[in-house]
Amino acid sequence: MSLILSSISLFFIPALITIILVHGLRNKTPMYDCFVNGAKDGLRTAVEMLPFIIAIFIGIQSLTVSGAIEFLKDLLAPISSPLGIPEELISLILLRPISGSGSLVLAEQIMRESGTDGLIGRAASVMTGSCETVFYVLAIYFGVTSVKKMRHAFHAGLIGYVVGVAASIAICRVM
Amino acid sequence: MNYIWAGMLLLGIVFSIINNRPDLFTQALMESCTDAVQFMIGLTGIIAVWCGLMSIAKESGLIDKIAVKATPAMKFLFPQEKNKDTLVMMLMSFTANVFGAGNSATVFSLKAMEMLDRENGGSPVASDTMCMFMAVSMSMIQLVPITIIKIRNDLGSQNPSDIIMPSIIVGLIAMAASIAACKYFEARERRRKRCH
Repeated sequence: MSLILSSISLFFIPALITIILVHGLRNKTPMYDCFVNGAKDGLRTAVEMLPFIIAIFIGIQSLTVSGAIEFLKDLLAPISSPLGIPEELISLILLRPISGSGSLVLAEQIMRESGTDGLIGRAASVMTGSCETVFYVLAIYFGVTSVKKMRHAFHAGLIGYVVGVAASIAICRVM
Repeated sequence: MNYIWAGMLLLGIVFSIINNRPDLFTQALMESCTDAVQFMIGLTGIIAVWCGLMSIAKESGLIDKIAVKATPAMKFLFPQEKNKDTLVMMLMSFTANVFGAGNSATVFSLKAMEMLDRENGGSPVASDTMCMFMAVSMSMIQLVPITIIKIRNDLGSQNPSDIIMPSIIVGLIAMAASIAACKYFEARERRRKRCH
């Protein structure tokens, strides 16, 4: 099962490009010219995005290295156990929404300390495998637009994240 | 966005001073802006490649074909979206996410947001389509979370990939919650507007 899924993932990009090229061949599209023009357009997009990416990167990094996460973790520790959340997972739950690479490092650390196949290790894996970096995504995606009011996009993402975290822990207790 | 961004930086400064490590903040600032440029340089090539390929797909009519096929599902999520190019761009972002093509997915999503922004007339208020696109993107499942499986494998897990199924199930639950929440807020806002 997992083998099938991972080979589908491996073939995704080559297959997609083949479809595009074969379809282009059949319709006698001037493919080379189209590609070059499209790529030119893409470069312009990249340059326009850079300032937003820089702004968001420094914001996220300053928050992660400053120890604010540890402070929040200590604050939340007393209420985590009545909720059934293992204390080891709190930092991960707090960091995951803002930093993808940071949360991977943290997940590795958690698994090194608590083992990979126990509840904590598995819950940490499922969480990083299924919960998105919601705040990062919000910041970057809206960063390239002129939107100032995100409306309910923020709430919807947060609700999805909280449900995902709860479901990760619950499913590892059962399965 | 204004307050969040300033808040993040100020919180970072305050906490690094409380922890008596203001040097960490300075270091983080310098490193992360270099990281951002490096990240973007890496992404720039991918952006150019996908924009090029998508332009072939557009010219050859493939995008129109996919848009027609995908209409039923996308109609449910994005009832107001009429532009085929944008619909397909969003669809590509979802599929790339599912198949774990992280950087390509980012490219499709950013491009889609840019197109949605143009359709929204550069308005400072997010459109319904934008919100739903965000809600789905923020809870998109990944078939094989390859990085985490590799980490588990390296740490000597008995069965590194037995988290695939639970991850997919959790992802689907989170996605359902996210979409439902988005639809709920949308409907509530519409009801309120009607009352006024």
